[in-house]
Amino acid sequence: VGYSTGRKPWPSQPYQEVSDEALEVRRKVLYFGLLVLVVFGILTVQLARMQLLSGDRYQQRAETNRLRQVPLQPTRGLIYDRNGVPLVENQASFAAAVVAADVPEEDDTRIALALQGITGVPAGEITDEIQRRRQSNDPFTPALIKENLTPEMAFALRERLASLPGARVLIQPRRSYPAGPLMAHVLGYVGHINEEEYAELKDAGYLLNDQVGKTGIEHSYEALLRGKPGTQSVETDASGRELRILDQLPAQPGSSIVLSIDTQLQAKVTEILQNGMGRSRNAAAVVLDVNTGEVLALVSLPAYDNNVFTGEIDAQVLQQLLENPNKPLLDHAIAEMYAPGSTFKQVTGLAALQEGIANANTMITSRGYIEVPNQFDPKTIYTFKDWRSDLGTMNFYRGVAMSSDVYFYYLAGGFGDFQGLGAQRLADWARRFGLGEQTGIDLPGESEGLVPDPAWKRKTIGEDWLLGDTYNFGIGQGYVATTPLQMALVTAAVANGGNVLVPHLLKEVRDAAGNVTTPRLQTVRRNLGIDVRNLNTMREGMRQVVVDGSAPGGASRFTQVAGKTGTAEFGPQRPDGTYTEHGWFSGYAPFGAPEIAVTVYFEQGNGAGTAAPAAAKIFDYYFSRPNLAQAGQR
Amino acid sequence: MISWRPSRPFDYILLVSGIALTVYGLLLIYSGSLASSGGSEPVLTGPVGRQVIFALMGLVACIAVSRMDYRFLAQGSIGLYFGLIAALVFVLTVGVQIYGSRRWIDIAGTHIQPSEIGKLIVILVLAKYLSDNSERVRDLSVFLTSLAIAVLPALLVFAEPDLGSATIFILIWLGMVMMAGADIRHILGTIGLVVAMAPFALIAVVTDYQRERVQLFFDPAKDALGSGFNILQAEISVGSGGLFGKGLTHGSQTQLDYLRTQSTDYIFSVLGEELGFVGAMILFALFMLLLLRGLRAAAISRDSFGRLVAIGVVIFILFQAFINIGVNIRLFPVTGIPLPFVSLGGSSLITVFIALGLLESVIVRHREVPL
Repeated sequence: VGYSTGRKPWPSQPYQEVSDEALEVRRKVLYFGLLVLVVFGILTVQLARMQLLSGDRYQQRAETNRLRQVPLQPTRGLIYDRNGVPLVENQASFAAAVVAADVPEEDDTRIALALQGITGVPAGEITDEIQRRRQSNDPFTPALIKENLTPEMAFALRERLASLPGARVLIQPRRSYPAGPLMAHVLGYVGHINEEEYAELKDAGYLLNDQVGKTGIEHSYEALLRGKPGTQSVETDASGRELRILDQLPAQPGSSIVLSIDTQLQAKVTEILQNGMGRSRNAAAVVLDVNTGEVLALVSLPAYDNNVFTGEIDAQVLQQLLENPNKPLLDHAIAEMYAPGSTFKQVTGLAALQEGIANANTMITSRGYIEVPNQFDPKTIYTFKDWRSDLGTMNFYRGVAMSSDVYFYYLAGGFGDFQGLGAQRLADWARRFGLGEQTGIDLPGESEGLVPDPAWKRKTIGEDWLLGDTYNFGIGQGYVATTPLQMALVTAAVANGGNVLVPHLLKEVRDAAGNVTTPRLQTVRRNLGIDVRNLNTMREGMRQVVVDGSAPGGASRFTQVAGKTGTAEFGPQRPDGTYTEHGWFSGYAPFGAPEIAVTVYFEQGNGAGTAAPAAAKIFDYYFSRPNLAQAGQR
Repeated sequence: MISWRPSRPFDYILLVSGIALTVYGLLLIYSGSLASSGGSEPVLTGPVGRQVIFALMGLVACIAVSRMDYRFLAQGSIGLYFGLIAALVFVLTVGVQIYGSRRWIDIAGTHIQPSEIGKLIVILVLAKYLSDNSERVRDLSVFLTSLAIAVLPALLVFAEPDLGSATIFILIWLGMVMMAGADIRHILGTIGLVVAMAPFALIAVVTDYQRERVQLFFDPAKDALGSGFNILQAEISVGSGGLFGKGLTHGSQTQLDYLRTQSTDYIFSVLGEELGFVGAMILFALFMLLLLRGLRAAAISRDSFGRLVAIGVVIFILFQAFINIGVNIRLFPVTGIPLPFVSLGGSSLITVFIALGLLESVIVRHREVPL
């Protein structure tokens, strides 16, 4: 179609004269023709901008509309003890839920009342939730009404589902710990992810209602146990109805973990500690393989039932656990530090031997105390007592065997002409033994302990270091503090020739395909570089402790034990001048070819009277079971 | 001046382009109704079937009107005009309300929208008045009377509220008085007055309903899941179509119901999504062909009345299309204007076929009585 303003008329018409009026008409019609072109020009430009220039962006938005990524939860890996005993279970738990989109509006109240009757959740809350969801943009996602239904509730609800449109029984995975308190401190537990954890983990594919290992092995090996979530791409229509699965990336189940823990040994150690606790508010024990650092038993009392934390947490139970003065939630074997008492003499003794302060024949006489004048005011005399006044003159072996405090005062701080190690050298040695730092065990929440030195005292307490501080330090009193696990590692180092180990609970990892891998773990933190002669001197002293020394109760009928007791004063002085005492024993066996180290700690007790006999029972148990003894050997 | 022409009196190109647009619309209605019917309703007896029947009725009306001497229609136009005013008042008082506005009369279960056919009636009345007074068309009184003829129905549909149709009435009037040769100063003065009064009108006359629609136009994301949903989803639908579209019946926006009213107001979004830029260009080409053939009718009309009718019809179809498509691609705020020939709906389809009939009537008769 063509128009012209000139005298050229329609192409089909012969060329002819036209009137002015006709020309005017054609001119106006031409303008309207231009208007048509301009209008469609505007539309074309805008359409080109949207479809051709921004098409990709809009396509993405259309895809976002259409596709919903539904996460597929992986099955969490299991945890076994060293003998294959399963320590966790993945159970199904039932939850009541409603899909708001499927609830007929006039039935809100009826359905809410029925659900109240079954679950006990107030009907008002349920109707509010249904209405809230119905107005939200995903009325198809089930809204949880109550989790952890009893089997009776779940059954009752399931029976009535047909008459309750929109109601659902959901099956959710729930972690269960069959051994309960026995393994609670080792395993920890999983729980709903909290906001901080979510902020940290969301990039790793965690969702707001995911479960995550909160503490213990569940926390340490979260990455292995969790597996990898999958996704389903589901096509959804505008009202959120899922139409079909377009693509699926299956979830990869988590790897299973085999621990070095021996459940039977753990149970026996727990029983022995419970029987020996007396008035102790808490107690702990560690059984270590002295060659590999494998932890065979790790007990902290009082314990708690970690199943409490896996479902809906009962606020009252939680309150009781948190307020209990004996701190059942704390792993006393690794998370709290105590004065080690005379078990620390292993450190002082070996340091003195290696530094040439003493040798096996160094003779020191204990008259029951030594007296030291105040450096600034010689008229003030401080007295440092031995635990017994009849120890007499001793060589190194007897000093260790009888646990003479005076003997170790000399070694640590010197006396008269006798040159001691001094506070700084002793502190340096203590640190080389791994004290004052975390052991690196594969559990969260470890305490570093405390190794004092003059600089530390000045900075922390604001006072100068005194000779008396060195004396106390030398016998494991005063400021020095360790965890039971740290002392077990000191003893293991004595036993294994001077290797300070990195303890661990992980033995094997089994992935979902059944491949077993033994992870390469760091087992030796450092070698102390102590001469064998000196180690043997210390070992002999520790052997004599149970043979004819301070702690005959530490001897075992089934093996030759070497060890060191500790009785550490703590807290305020009592009216009669005595203190409450921690009881320790840290020893190893067999004396000739060491396999395991055992450290026992009672919050209240006595090294020789309480801790050593408990340790002896552990050695008895371990070495009276041939299969177990072999399992400990590498 | 126009010579006797023996051949092609009836403009088949015009009619065929109208039918082509209708068939194009049927394809889109078919695709759009797959979604809303969920695939269960038999499509052919549903919206597509209804639209085919409307199209046939429209075609019959078109041919009937084309055979009628349009000057005969001019005689009856005054009566039709008063009938229209009565119908519009009736709609406002007892009309059927859909999506918050009253635009329909319910007759035997069918919703009839009198404002659609009303646009043709106003075209006829204006054409008659302006051609009868062609000598005095530059007089202010004639100018104002013609304005009043358009403003009365415009105000009535504005009150429905239907801002889009009201705008169409005014644009039809504007196009026709320009064609009739009104004083350009009167026209500019009227436009100036409207622009000057616009802010007051926004406060005093425009309802909350319309204000909300305008606000949403500027920021649909403010209520992305409520009233802004359709605007955003239409934009996404069209934009995601790209050059060639996703294929008829394969648009996810359309088929998964993200796009609402996909057979009526947002039918262009279905086209944009499923047939892409290329599909839209075909639609534009058909519209341009039809409209330019309509202008040709104006150019060859033997009298001023026919010319004005043709211009009125072209303006009517042009701006219905412009506003409808403009709403789909975020050029205008939402108004419920159907896309001529394409949108599902009997009132609109029959009206535009009658409009085609008017154009044909002008074309067919241009040679019978030479000027």
